[in-house]
Amino acid sequence: MDIVVQSILNGALMGCVYALITLGLSLIFGVMNVVNFAHGDFVMLSMYFSFLIGSTWGVDAVFTPAITLPLLFIFGIAAYYLLIDGTLRQKYVTQIAVTVGLMTLLRAIAQLVWKAQPRALPYSVIQGSFHIGAYNFMFSRLISAAVSIVVIGGVSLFLSKTWPGRAIRAASDDLDAASLMGVSYRSIYALAFGLGSALTAIAGGLLMTFQQVDPTMGLRFGLLSWCVLALAGLGSIPGLLISGLIVGAAESISMTLWDPRARSLVVYLIFILALWIRPRGLFGRK
Amino acid sequence: MSNRWKAINRALLGVALTVALAVPLLIGSNQYNLVLVTTVLLYAVLATAWNIIGGMAGQLDLAAFAYLGLGAFTSGTLLIRWNISPWLGMILGGLVATGFAVLVGFPLFRFRVREVWYALTSAALVEVLKVAFVMWEEVGGPVERYLPYYDFSLYHLRFGTYLPYYYILLAFLVVAVLVNRHLSRTRLGFYLRALGEDEDAAEVLGVDARTCKLKALMIYAFIVGVVGAIYSCMYGFIHPNFFSSPASTEVAILGIVGGMGITYGPLVAAIFLVSMREFLRANLGGHLESLYLAIYAVVLIVIALFRPQGIATFLQDGYHWVISKVTRSDHVVKADSTGV
Repeated sequence: MDIVVQSILNGALMGCVYALITLGLSLIFGVMNVVNFAHGDFVMLSMYFSFLIGSTWGVDAVFTPAITLPLLFIFGIAAYYLLIDGTLRQKYVTQIAVTVGLMTLLRAIAQLVWKAQPRALPYSVIQGSFHIGAYNFMFSRLISAAVSIVVIGGVSLFLSKTWPGRAIRAASDDLDAASLMGVSYRSIYALAFGLGSALTAIAGGLLMTFQQVDPTMGLRFGLLSWCVLALAGLGSIPGLLISGLIVGAAESISMTLWDPRARSLVVYLIFILALWIRPRGLFGRK
Repeated sequence: MSNRWKAINRALLGVALTVALAVPLLIGSNQYNLVLVTTVLLYAVLATAWNIIGGMAGQLDLAAFAYLGLGAFTSGTLLIRWNISPWLGMILGGLVATGFAVLVGFPLFRFRVREVWYALTSAALVEVLKVAFVMWEEVGGPVERYLPYYDFSLYHLRFGTYLPYYYILLAFLVVAVLVNRHLSRTRLGFYLRALGEDEDAAEVLGVDARTCKLKALMIYAFIVGVVGAIYSCMYGFIHPNFFSSPASTEVAILGIVGGMGITYGPLVAAIFLVSMREFLRANLGGHLESLYLAIYAVVLIVIALFRPQGIATFLQDGYHWVISKVTRSDHVVKADSTGV
């Protein structure tokens, strides 16, 4: 029994990071209805940036988002203006072709620069573990989960309290009405895209404290974040967090009780079932 | 005038087919080049089949290699275990793939999963099958299972050279193109096209979206499943890595950049893009492993951004220009979506 609770706890901690990654995806998809197939590869890219900065200057992975965050923000805005902006009036398959192209490009670049073997940073200040009762917690995962929750809360505040945040929400509700109220859709879209990719920078830095990175990672994080989004539905940030917890815990339990190889199987089955049974998601508004 | 057009079309098709038949003779005995043209053909068949569900019905299916893998595993396992000929195996493989398509497609279309969500579900299916087959030790498992080797055996569909596979795949390509052409002239084809343009509008006008999409998915899965049997014979083994997401995505991408719904679009895209990729891989691979992939990706993006109707429209434009010169008529119909 202990082992089940332990794995649920571990998975739930991981799930907070998944929720953070998915928040970026849901901003992009929710606001401009653009399907970003490269989102998982944005995570991969930020992990590599964290690795690069960490290994070059000996900076701890936790602090690398200080540099990778603005970097990914600019990258997201550039990607929007160069690639996405021209496809907004096309069929959605054209957008998918473009983002799949971007995905392939990022993967190829990662392989070119960092080669195929996995990379990891040697240490992190947040190391070790502690016990509460019979349960064991890794500091790195705990702090990652805490930071993720704080960032998600911050983004939620930004979306509800500030003008640009409200403009993003307005644009996702009704673009025409928002445009009439003086919201420039281009800058809002660019902002959402930049913000969405900047969030992966934080997730990437956190993941690098306890994980290694390889060029094929993007696929896993991509499908994982779509799974969390499908389960949560669009428009509810607490729902996103809960779905992240569910997916993380399910993944972890299946690894402990069934088979380590079954982790992706369970995640994808949740994804497919969520779409069949509740296409709006558990907490979706639309 | 229309007879003349038909004659020109026939002549063009004849030339194309003759060239395709002669390609192995032109490249001589170089096995590597033969592998390349066979790979191009393989993707051409898959992408042409994809055109039915993707290009016509507008459902962005990313599960090509799920159906291909099922076909490969069915026929491969039958051959390894019971020495059953892949000729029978390919039919059964196609049926298994079709059965799986119904199993998945029925609830998906029933619950109105579409567009992005359909695309992502199908992408997830490939991964589900891959893991499932790795874990299913009796049939799959993490180790390759080899098909018996023969220098030349028609019964086992195993040959020491790629040449026979080239011609078999060429025959499949002709069949796939014919199925496409036939569909585009039948009621089902028109329904599918309507669904591809605007699903809600088509449903309002009385198109039974669920049944039509399911039919399209079944035809596509059957062709891909049959190709899967050839695939396993060609490579001589079966392995869960056959269920490949990147390859499945590539099939869809070929269909998109070729030109959605244009019968010859995926074919053109496969010939152009897959040859380019393999050429780059062969020439750059030694120095920089992934440079070819980066260039390939950039070409994809450029095509999608600047020619979203597909690269086949270049050929269409060129064709109509030539026709207008030849027949000296000014009132030539512009390129339409029904293909050349």
